[in-house]
Amino acid sequence: MTKYKVTITNRDNVEYEVDAKRPILDELRNQGVDLPYGCKYGGCITCAAKLTSGDVDQKRQVALNNWQLDNGYVILCVARAKSDITLEIGTESHDKLYRNPFLEPLKSYQLKADIASKEDI
Amino acid sequence: MNKVCCGPGYASPIEAINAPREKLLYTIAIYTGTGIQKPDYLATVDVDPDSPTYSQVIHRLEMPGIGDELHHMGWNACSSCHDDSSMSRKYLILPGVRSNNLHIVDTATDPKSPRLYKVIEGAEIKSKADLSGPHTVHCLGSKIIISFLGNAKGEAPGGYLQLDKEFNIIGRWEHSMGGIKFGYDFWYQPRHNVMVSSEWAAPNTFMPGFDLEEVGHLKYGRELHFWDFEKREPVESFYLGEDGLVPLEVKFHHNPDSTHGFCGAALSTNVIHWWKNSDGKWQWEKIIDIENEMHPEWPIPLPGVMSAILVSMDDKYLYLNNWLHGDMRQYDISDPHNPVLTGQVYMGGLLGKAPEVNGVEVAGGPQMFQLSLDGKRLYVTTSLFSTWDNQFYPEIREKGGVMLQIDCDPENGGMKVNPNFMINFGKEPNGPSRCHEARYPGGDCTSDIWL
Repeated sequence: MTKYKVTITNRDNVEYEVDAKRPILDELRNQGVDLPYGCKYGGCITCAAKLTSGDVDQKRQVALNNWQLDNGYVILCVARAKSDITLEIGTESHDKLYRNPFLEPLKSYQLKADIASKEDI
Repeated sequence: MNKVCCGPGYASPIEAINAPREKLLYTIAIYTGTGIQKPDYLATVDVDPDSPTYSQVIHRLEMPGIGDELHHMGWNACSSCHDDSSMSRKYLILPGVRSNNLHIVDTATDPKSPRLYKVIEGAEIKSKADLSGPHTVHCLGSKIIISFLGNAKGEAPGGYLQLDKEFNIIGRWEHSMGGIKFGYDFWYQPRHNVMVSSEWAAPNTFMPGFDLEEVGHLKYGRELHFWDFEKREPVESFYLGEDGLVPLEVKFHHNPDSTHGFCGAALSTNVIHWWKNSDGKWQWEKIIDIENEMHPEWPIPLPGVMSAILVSMDDKYLYLNNWLHGDMRQYDISDPHNPVLTGQVYMGGLLGKAPEVNGVEVAGGPQMFQLSLDGKRLYVTTSLFSTWDNQFYPEIREKGGVMLQIDCDPENGGMKVNPNFMINFGKEPNGPSRCHEARYPGGDCTSDIWL
């Protein structure tokens, strides 16, 4: 069983071990970390956290657009660790998760993967 | 002649209008998405001006888990089973949009202190009916149907879950979704064998937040659907186009003989009216068109965002909100083809017209509302949906939502904010929460349907 280390920078850099095959949300909650969540299938964004180093597999997520992915967000209820990772958790990490769509419209390449344009800027 | 019966609700809309005044109301309040790790809850609000706790939350019923995002609610029974003495309006059903759980709350044993009666787990609904993203609850005689906006994976169009009166899952209500692309709200008018349903978006689209560009990519709805209610299948759809972007709340006249109904197209900020003509054909037209407004600092004109509409029990007035502009409006719809604006008040909003009401800074804009049965008191709340609040009104995290009450004149028209009523959910014991839909124990203007 492959295990990786998760460091939570906005919780005094506390470290946890997680199973690479299980969702990070479940792994952390089972060890007593108080995390927000909602749908538990990767669609609702409530459990979003910011990945500041390392890699995750979150191909099951359908909530994030490319702008949010570029800002480092991961959906913990479906994401699995692929290496040791560092996270900021909770709504404190959501500073670049939400934007007013009338003030800052998305460019076509920043949309969700299924409708984003392929060309780069 | 008044028919005396012992089932729930009232024999007719007129009897409902003459019912005793509401003394309590229930509203849901959320912590989902706020950063406070507490369950969402059902708040009991004292609305009796003679009570020492008037204009206060007097009870809070917490849900068993966090992350539900309570939203709309519905009764187990309404005037549609007025003739059935075995039924009573005892249970309020509180769906969690994100968790998929359905909470059944007993409000009758002690109306001031509702208690949790049963939870139908979201996982059971997914496995038995392949549905998620519950929204509107209507009773249907002794049964209950609930619109769900997605399948178990959060993909549109979802469908309708049917429960029996003991809150067991019967299964899917509809026999077919036809070519429907999205679900949201619905209302039925049994004497005309019709149900009308509207379109928001797939849960996977609207739950993470709103992107204007996704409307252009057809990720949001723009159609209304007319159903053969007995056959449980859609038979006709109206493509509303640019006039009907994101058609949300659906209301028929309360008069069970009427074919007139209305839908608020949220993003176009229009009211769509439909009716059956003398040839028996359904017709539609746009009757209200709220212009976009320029915000001094923004590049794109701001739509009102009409997220809710309500028809008074006497079918004379239609109320609507402009969540981003910040105003509530009252229209006389005595002639439903030609509505007349008769009242308007501002509370919050992005245009800065009423940043403070009754001494409290309002975060958000008018969003959900419930009218008293007699048409004189409109209770208004300010939060739309946690992620959408966070995009448009980020200050609501610290300030919470509010509930206000508008005094309405059902004789001559007109609205004004009641200066004595203000519930500031920013001061809740566990921190700022956001209140949303409200309902009265005796039935209300957004639930009761007559057979």
